[in-house]
Amino acid sequence: MAKASRTPSPMLPLAFLATAAVAFGLVGVALPWVAEDLTGHYYHPRILALTHTVTLGWITLTIFGASYQLVPVVLERSVWSERLGSWELTLTGLGVVGIVGHMAISAWSGLLWGAGLLAAGVAAHVINIALTLRGLERWSFTATMLAMGFLGLVLTTLFGAALGVEHIRSFLPGDFYARLHAHVHLALLGGVLPVVLGVAAHVYPMFLLAPRPAPRVLAIQAWGLALGVPAVVVGLLVAPTLAAAGALAVAASVATHVVWVVSLLRGSRRPAFDWALRFLVAGAAYLAVAAAVGAALALGAVGGPRWALAYGVLVLGGWASLTIVGMMLKIVPFLVWYRVYAPRAGRLPVPGLADLRWPTTEAVAFIALTGGVAALAIAVGVGHAAAIRAAALIVSVGTFAFVATVATMLHHLVPCPLRAAAPVA
Amino acid sequence: MKPAALVAIPPGRCVTLDVRAAIRGGKEPFDEIMAVVARLAAGQALVLRAPFEPTPLYRVLGARGFAHWSERHADDDWSVWFYRGEPSAPAAAPPADATARGTLDVRGLEPPQPMMAVLERLETLAAGERLTVVHDRRPTFLYPQLDERGFAHHTEEPEPGLVRIVIERTAR
Repeated sequence: MAKASRTPSPMLPLAFLATAAVAFGLVGVALPWVAEDLTGHYYHPRILALTHTVTLGWITLTIFGASYQLVPVVLERSVWSERLGSWELTLTGLGVVGIVGHMAISAWSGLLWGAGLLAAGVAAHVINIALTLRGLERWSFTATMLAMGFLGLVLTTLFGAALGVEHIRSFLPGDFYARLHAHVHLALLGGVLPVVLGVAAHVYPMFLLAPRPAPRVLAIQAWGLALGVPAVVVGLLVAPTLAAAGALAVAASVATHVVWVVSLLRGSRRPAFDWALRFLVAGAAYLAVAAAVGAALALGAVGGPRWALAYGVLVLGGWASLTIVGMMLKIVPFLVWYRVYAPRAGRLPVPGLADLRWPTTEAVAFIALTGGVAALAIAVGVGHAAAIRAAALIVSVGTFAFVATVATMLHHLVPCPLRAAAPVA
Repeated sequence: MKPAALVAIPPGRCVTLDVRAAIRGGKEPFDEIMAVVARLAAGQALVLRAPFEPTPLYRVLGARGFAHWSERHADDDWSVWFYRGEPSAPAAAPPADATARGTLDVRGLEPPQPMMAVLERLETLAAGERLTVVHDRRPTFLYPQLDERGFAHHTEEPEPGLVRIVIERTAR
């Protein structure tokens, strides 16, 4: 019989996920204010600040938090140090505030301390995960992709810090925009995409009650990123032809993922989809569209700042954000339930996950975010200020509805003497 | 043809629960079903109306001593009777020793339903008795709950996607 197991702490991932949800809410607040700026070039201080609120405050903090929930499940071992994880949240959170704040006011020298704190937070996370992975006997697809993603995040952080220093003292060779594009693609394709694909391979079959992916499907996804991402990044810096070849490899990986998701939907034994699953499906659909636009940009079929902005909206607002919202709507209620109600389960009547949710706000978030992001991508592509503002307001409504949904779930963590006697639904 | 044990239950002793609208609305009715089952008195049966055949429920309720009988009205309209009296065939072979209290198959259930079903069942175990849980993955979040409640456990994975956890109550 087994020895005592260490309890996976639900509070550490919840702290990350709640902070990320706050960042997403702030994006909703800021978006209508920067609508006018979205009619111009994407290299604008407020656009940079908004973008980094999304990529660092929303996406990166979610990845860190989700990894603290999923690593014990996927790897069947405890996280090396949860205390280091708490320090990491503090460092990363302060770093994001520093970076975003200084970007918004174009104070490049002040940006460096923010970048330093962020780098310390990312280093803490990578060290924690690396020590957790140490000695792993069986490297599953998910474990491999998580390792690949965290390597991508480290390289992205170093690259970003170098771009920050470049603003004060010029030392990098080559074209400015080529470096910027390489940084963005290293973050999205090298840092975020492997984590999403790796986590999806593990949790989507569980959510959809469907078979696990075949080895060939996993191999194409892994090799497409392993070969494609370095080619895209190096190609953007020095050789456009290499970038186009890399984009095709990444597109093959993405296409395989999307086809697999479609096959999961067809083979799902779930009688009905909840809002979380609808978000995940919408995220996969946006990924297919974004990959097509990205490949068109890499091959030179389309170009210019308007297409680049629309591409950014599709990737960050469509694929990444909708996928994260879907995963959060699954992860957060489970963690809250586990923290509050699992100790009573079997002994007393306890509510189910459905009782922790607020379907009305989930529905509002789904409609506003999926529709608003599509409208925003079209509006920035056209460059029409009034249309951008209207679409931004719709997206804002979606972010606020999502934050309200998460807050509803989290309020169960607040001790309440009446809750113990609450009737089961 | 309805089993004799089910025919013997008068219609007035049948509790009907229609989850078709809830499922079509995207809701998960598992908790509601389990709450109704928990309230069933001796001699009562549950008549579940669902838009599909709820096969995962057969294992969960079968482990609680409920037999089932289903009737298909249309492709998306099923009635399933759950009643006590005839044990369902277990999905996995139960352990043969005298301390075993049967098998609980929680495959195909979304978290935290497997944990809820297991912890509820474990409360019926006496000291020294064992329950075998059949799962499709290692239940990482269940183990600490077992430790805290004084259960010993052993996990084996005979093939990918099939996990057996033998749980024994060691202390009250």
